[in-house]
Amino acid sequence: MTTTTDPVIQLEVGSGGGLIGASTPRKEDQRLLTGHGQFTDDLHVRGMLHAAFVRSPHAHARILGIDASEARALPGVVAVVTGEDLAKLTSPMVVSQEGAHPMVMETLPTAKVRFNGDPVACVIAVDRYVAEDAAELVDVDYEMLEPVLEMHAATDPGSPLVDEGLPSNLHTRQTKSYGDIETAFANADRVIETSFSSQRLTHVPIEGRGVLAIWDKGRAELSFHSGQQTAHVTRTLLAKRLGLSENQVRVISPDIGGAFGLKIPLFREELTVAAMAMTLDRPIKWAEDRAENLMASNHARDDSVSIQAAVAADGTILGIKAELWADYGAYAFYPPSYMIDVVGWLLLGAYKIENYEYTINVAITNKCPAGTLRAPMAIVTWATEGTVERIADELGLDAVAVRRRNMIRLEDQPYRSAPGYLYEALTLRESFDEALDRFDLEQFRRSQASARGEGRLLGVGLATVLEPTTYGSAWYKASGDEGSGHEAATVKVEPTGAINVMVGIIPSGQGYETTIAQVVAEALGSTTDNVAVRLGDTHIVPYGMGSRGSRGAAAGNGVAYLAALTARNKVLRIASHRLGVPIDSLTIVDGSIFVIDEAESRLSLADVAWMCYMDPTSLPATEAPGLEVHQTYDPPELTFSNASHVCVVEVFRDTGQVEILDYHVVEDAGTLINPMIVDGQIRGGVVMGIGQALYEESIYDDAGNNVTSSFVDYLIPTADCVPNIRIHHVETPNPNTPRGIKGMSEGPVQGGIASVALAVSDALKGLGVTVDQLPLHPSRILGYLRAAGAQDD
Amino acid sequence: MKPSPFDYHAPTQLSEAIGLLSELGDEAKLLSGGQSLVPLMNMRLARPEHVVDLNRVTGLSDLSVDQDRVRVGAMVRHRQLERSAELVAANPLVAAAASLIAHFQIRERGTIGGSLAHADPSAELPLVACLLDADIEAQGPSGVRRLTGSEFFTSVFTTQLDESEVLTGVAFRHLDPAEGWAFEEVARRHGDFAIVATAATTLFGEDGRYAAAGLAIAGVGAVPQRLDAISLVGELPSDRLWRSVAAEASSRISPQGDIHATAEDRHDLARTLIIRSLSRATQRAKGGDPR
Amino acid sequence: MKARAIHLVVNGEQASGEVMPRMLLSDFIRDDLALTGTHVGCEQGACGACTVLLNGRAVRSCLTFAVQADGASITTIEGIAGPDGELHPVQQALRDRHGLQCGFCTPGVVVTACALLRDDPQPTTQAIREGLSGNLCRCTGYQSIIEAIEQAAAVGASTSADGTVA
Repeated sequence: MTTTTDPVIQLEVGSGGGLIGASTPRKEDQRLLTGHGQFTDDLHVRGMLHAAFVRSPHAHARILGIDASEARALPGVVAVVTGEDLAKLTSPMVVSQEGAHPMVMETLPTAKVRFNGDPVACVIAVDRYVAEDAAELVDVDYEMLEPVLEMHAATDPGSPLVDEGLPSNLHTRQTKSYGDIETAFANADRVIETSFSSQRLTHVPIEGRGVLAIWDKGRAELSFHSGQQTAHVTRTLLAKRLGLSENQVRVISPDIGGAFGLKIPLFREELTVAAMAMTLDRPIKWAEDRAENLMASNHARDDSVSIQAAVAADGTILGIKAELWADYGAYAFYPPSYMIDVVGWLLLGAYKIENYEYTINVAITNKCPAGTLRAPMAIVTWATEGTVERIADELGLDAVAVRRRNMIRLEDQPYRSAPGYLYEALTLRESFDEALDRFDLEQFRRSQASARGEGRLLGVGLATVLEPTTYGSAWYKASGDEGSGHEAATVKVEPTGAINVMVGIIPSGQGYETTIAQVVAEALGSTTDNVAVRLGDTHIVPYGMGSRGSRGAAAGNGVAYLAALTARNKVLRIASHRLGVPIDSLTIVDGSIFVIDEAESRLSLADVAWMCYMDPTSLPATEAPGLEVHQTYDPPELTFSNASHVCVVEVFRDTGQVEILDYHVVEDAGTLINPMIVDGQIRGGVVMGIGQALYEESIYDDAGNNVTSSFVDYLIPTADCVPNIRIHHVETPNPNTPRGIKGMSEGPVQGGIASVALAVSDALKGLGVTVDQLPLHPSRILGYLRAAGAQDD
Repeated sequence: MKPSPFDYHAPTQLSEAIGLLSELGDEAKLLSGGQSLVPLMNMRLARPEHVVDLNRVTGLSDLSVDQDRVRVGAMVRHRQLERSAELVAANPLVAAAASLIAHFQIRERGTIGGSLAHADPSAELPLVACLLDADIEAQGPSGVRRLTGSEFFTSVFTTQLDESEVLTGVAFRHLDPAEGWAFEEVARRHGDFAIVATAATTLFGEDGRYAAAGLAIAGVGAVPQRLDAISLVGELPSDRLWRSVAAEASSRISPQGDIHATAEDRHDLARTLIIRSLSRATQRAKGGDPR
Repeated sequence: MKARAIHLVVNGEQASGEVMPRMLLSDFIRDDLALTGTHVGCEQGACGACTVLLNGRAVRSCLTFAVQADGASITTIEGIAGPDGELHPVQQALRDRHGLQCGFCTPGVVVTACALLRDDPQPTTQAIREGLSGNLCRCTGYQSIIEAIEQAAAVGASTSADGTVA
């Protein structure tokens, strides 16, 4: 196998088959449309047992004892295990990072439970029905402890400790400063203050978490079938925590029914099931139910941003100080600074601001632990754009003009942001202008004023999104987070010319089987039908970093493209030798190799492939047999996409409801591989943002009980409450990635939250209310209107 | 989320069902459409030891319209109510209310008898049964009992039905061709439980004043409430009148708050919906609304 | 609490099983009949992923006990496409319009759309949005699903393919 880490080789644009950029229908759709997808819970093996978890009904309590005798006696129950049992079979997870004390998470807790839904015991039984019967019979003796439920109060010195291994519930507090913040504030004409708070949310993939673990006693090998975004990293963690060698563990991620950042960590339930499959030597499946999913998977977004902006009278932003808070919940699944720190370094958004200081505070509380939900930094665009709006308001300036005064233009780039990130080929200002070309703001202001005259509340929200997409290994090194951002691919042209591609990214709806086939077919002069893409099986696929962030396009598709180019080069070298013509006179179209300008093909890709495997003595002496390429690619430290969103809403005074009347997105994700798929990512992302802005919230009562554990109370957007979204693409290639691909998928969430929240704020302008807390559900809006004395009657 | 174990009974005769209820007492639960009961069982919030399924009992699924009444068997599905041209002609209010229940797949299974017996305080059909003072028929070991819609609901999830009684059917009066009607509700999303719902009927005299009117509200108390004491009769329709009726009604309710709406919100929504439903019902009466 | 024998017709073929009364129809279809295209997303009737046709009507299979389906005819997602895998117009339109991403909600969407179009062959956009409001999708933002159903209606999906379905 050829292994290369060649620098980026760009296939001359136009020499491919036009497959990159085509809205090719998806290869995965046939099976998914006909009910033949294979999701984790669809798997069934002989002798399979089922797991169910006993979960804490309390927010914070000491475990004094667990009596499982009645549960064990129930017919059909095979085992009941607790944290004490699992401590002998597994090692705990330790998350550490500079600036915080290491935080330990046992496989199941032995001393106390830390949130409502915390798993305390696992029942293994013949089916899920019996497992649930038995789970009810497990008697846990709890000593109630005072719950810690509010993140600011949690950090008071007198607060009970959520984690008694830590000195405080303030997990970390860190300040970063760039430029000369003191002078900026000293020179300011005004200091404008804003604050923005997001509610606690959860991911809600329609398929919950789950695993089927199979221990092959003969081979001493564990198969772990589970929808995992980062299968190889999961394998590494599983091996470590189960005391196995990494070559004894195979992680297979089947079809995933949505992930959105939830399905990244090795969850305690999954590890428990794996350990018990080994111990009992029986296949065991666990399929999370919706109540577990809403209460006890991961939560996200429980964060806030307070900003002080030093501004000149003309609207120039001289400096920003920000105080950021995040409620991390009861355990650390991620390094403490990771999610909230991204808000910190992104907060300057589309604007040229040299002087900047931010402080992050991360609190530990008795709530479900925090995870990465699609755009973990999602609050950031609302905070930045909301601050710019407020600056304009307070200075009596036009908010569009204030934006334009401070925005970074294409001609300003390469531009290094105050926190040190390089912006290249971003059309922040240009896409904003494009959005306002497409949406007539002045016309809207006239309709808005006349509607106001009739008592109707219309508003518009403008949001320019800076989306970090692909994180290279340099980013990980600099941030102190464990891991890397490189990606790996294997491209195999088999003897008959059929192509197999294996890449380390893992799909949960992004259509990689199609887009990777497109880029590989383009690079190799083949067709998408001739390319099979195999993902998510650690026995087949080279070690990759999986799917997180928006790295799929630039890192995942990018590395497949580069590997296919390497294969192409080998094919052309062989063809050149065989045909006795210069290599640069050759091209490959639909699997046939042509001398450029000749009408008839002289050789096919399949002919060359056959030669490579079956007749290697005919190859040039410098060529090794076979036609398989393994390649890795480490993208730049960080790549970005940008977009501008425009949202128009009406707020109904009499019900507090918000209706979205119009929605535009101008998106610059660089070179698009499949525009249809990108449009799907935009629409889905915006709607997730709408969910956060208007509908969703994970709520705890005063005792720390989760009161949103069903779909009656946790509301995600439905078909009747979302708008059509009009999309325009600007394609400005990134100069440093394969084919100029930038990637995207989280920005639409950022823009959705920001533009909807700002539109509501605009609709309520002049009523004396400040929109600074999500979601903007009818109850909150009615509260605003009551406070303003502005109701219908 | 799986139900706890139970014994299943699928009688084909009503008498058999009643016999089972009498025999099994409070360990038994009637299963009709199952769209409220089965979620509760899946969450183990309901755990009957015996389930008596009404789906195979004959004679409970007829929908008929005669001279002055619409008779609906207990096992008639909401979707049938919504799509019955006969019902829409005779009593469009019932059909409209049914069409707002949850999602259409739920309405394909959910039944009118189940909805009335379940007595969710914010449900649509109980509100209409209360407003129109529907004639509810129940059958038990000692025979048939007729109950009135305005008194049927006694508390949250509680009715006048005895443990061993089966709700067998309900009859609604026709709406007068000149009668206006409205059913209005506010929910977080289409198909969600209503936060507040109102229903109204209006009829005008030749003098252009209200000759008869009815108004009821759900979601603001343990049971749907008729606002009988608030009279429109003899008044000329006006926005001002509706607002004063709404204000008066708001002062008579004491809603509870939950995570979707505070008590104050419910007062606001009650006023909004009362105004809307009176306005709409008036408009329909005046305009001869196409049914 | 003993198991009961049930006999039914699933996707046009005879099927039978022995089920405990509490077994949900969704679990029977998935586990006993191995028709895993019917997905389970909430077990409270809210997400719509488990929607099947029960005697021709679209229902939540998670809110029906398998014993109740004795003698019934059921169509699952596996019974919608032609026998050679030829997509039903609703399925084809979803593919054409990118009306699915992860595909987990898709079987419920397809079955629901077939039932909707049968009852209302030329629905308004609003009717489609309301009809689909009981099918949760976390990926697409729904627009492409709505457009797909409009496309399917335009090509007369309600009268094509398997007459028992559409």
